[in-house]
Amino acid sequence: MRSITTWARIKSPWVIHFNSGACNGCDIEVIALLTPRYDVERFGIKLAPSPRHADVLLTTGVVTAQCAERLKRIYDQMPEPKFVVAIGACACSGGVFKGNYSVVGGVENIIPVNIYIPGCPPKPEAIIDGVVKLLNSLKEA
Amino acid sequence: MQNRVGPSLTGPSGILQPLADFIKLITKEDIIPRDAKKTVFRFAPILAFSVIVFGMCFFPIDGTNIIPNSAFSGDLIFDLALLTIVNFLMFLSGWASASPYGSIGAARVLVQFLGYDIPLFLLALSPAFLAQSLSISEIATAQNIPFVILAPWAFILFLIAMQAELEKDPFDTPNAESELVGGLETEYCGGRLAFLHLTRDVQIIFGAAIVVELFLGGPYGPVFFGFPTFWYTLWFILKLLGVIVLSEYLASLFARLRIDQVLTGNWKILLPLSILSLILTVALATWIYPWVM
Repeated sequence: MRSITTWARIKSPWVIHFNSGACNGCDIEVIALLTPRYDVERFGIKLAPSPRHADVLLTTGVVTAQCAERLKRIYDQMPEPKFVVAIGACACSGGVFKGNYSVVGGVENIIPVNIYIPGCPPKPEAIIDGVVKLLNSLKEA
Repeated sequence: MQNRVGPSLTGPSGILQPLADFIKLITKEDIIPRDAKKTVFRFAPILAFSVIVFGMCFFPIDGTNIIPNSAFSGDLIFDLALLTIVNFLMFLSGWASASPYGSIGAARVLVQFLGYDIPLFLLALSPAFLAQSLSISEIATAQNIPFVILAPWAFILFLIAMQAELEKDPFDTPNAESELVGGLETEYCGGRLAFLHLTRDVQIIFGAAIVVELFLGGPYGPVFFGFPTFWYTLWFILKLLGVIVLSEYLASLFARLRIDQVLTGNWKILLPLSILSLILTVALATWIYPWVM
């Protein structure tokens, strides 16, 4: 029973994408993933319309002070089990904006993060690699 | 479309993907929004699913009643009424979720199916009149020549009305993702979302099955050797898949209409056309077909 559940979770991760104040560089790479060029739908990865449907939260961007509360709220709306992927240098650590008065800096300061994918912006291949690592960690657990 | 292959790595060529989605959804956490109407929110999706599966019982699948089906005279009307009830339960499930997106999606479901039910019923009367019966199995039996040949206008209009009734492109305004997030299922998660998706999928099969029974000769087809039951079931499934492919092809071919265009298309175009089609069918069946055949 447990192995069937794990299999289903690995084969059907629905993602939702949240931009917490990114420059849109990482967002374009995320869109490239979902569109025919890289087409992650082959792996069962689907863009969910609402956070209630999603399993994986793809966050991009340095978390601005204004966005922090919204990011937390979106995270709380997702049903368990849920995973967070921080995409890009800003989402991982704050990037070049670290120390700025208007940013929190790093998604990990607001919500727990499962996988960090650095890069400015990371290539779609790198994002796929990160998501595969996340799914493999599910298999081992 | 766009040369996309779709999920291809879950089981043999991705055939197990819906199963994986379903298992994943029913094992997820169950959240009920604080302001939702809790009883309706809990039961409407599951009730919708059970009603549509109940409606599937009335189709003659093997043609010889080896697989018993609960057919009775007049079950065509009963079955179409069940389809309406399912749509109403879908509306209730969206309305109960107390979310603006869910409510707008639900209101659009209501507006759309109330309008498109009328032409759908009128068009379903054409084959009923040709077969002189309101029973689905008798309509299927009466088709020595499939009614798609005798009344092709009714067939085409019925396909369009069915597309609208099942909320598929170009009529999928109730779940327009670019405007309404997830439409009526926005606030649903876990098992209830799985049941809403399953209801939609079964609805598609239900609609295709009605088209097969009313216009394409039901399960009847040539029997080559052995048991007729086997061949009739095979013909039914092949025809069903054909209709589903056609309907999916239409859905991916057309862009979504706006809600006002959907309504205008219904009341100004489809409803008069369906009345005309019924008049034409009745006239031909009364005066022309008895002489020709």
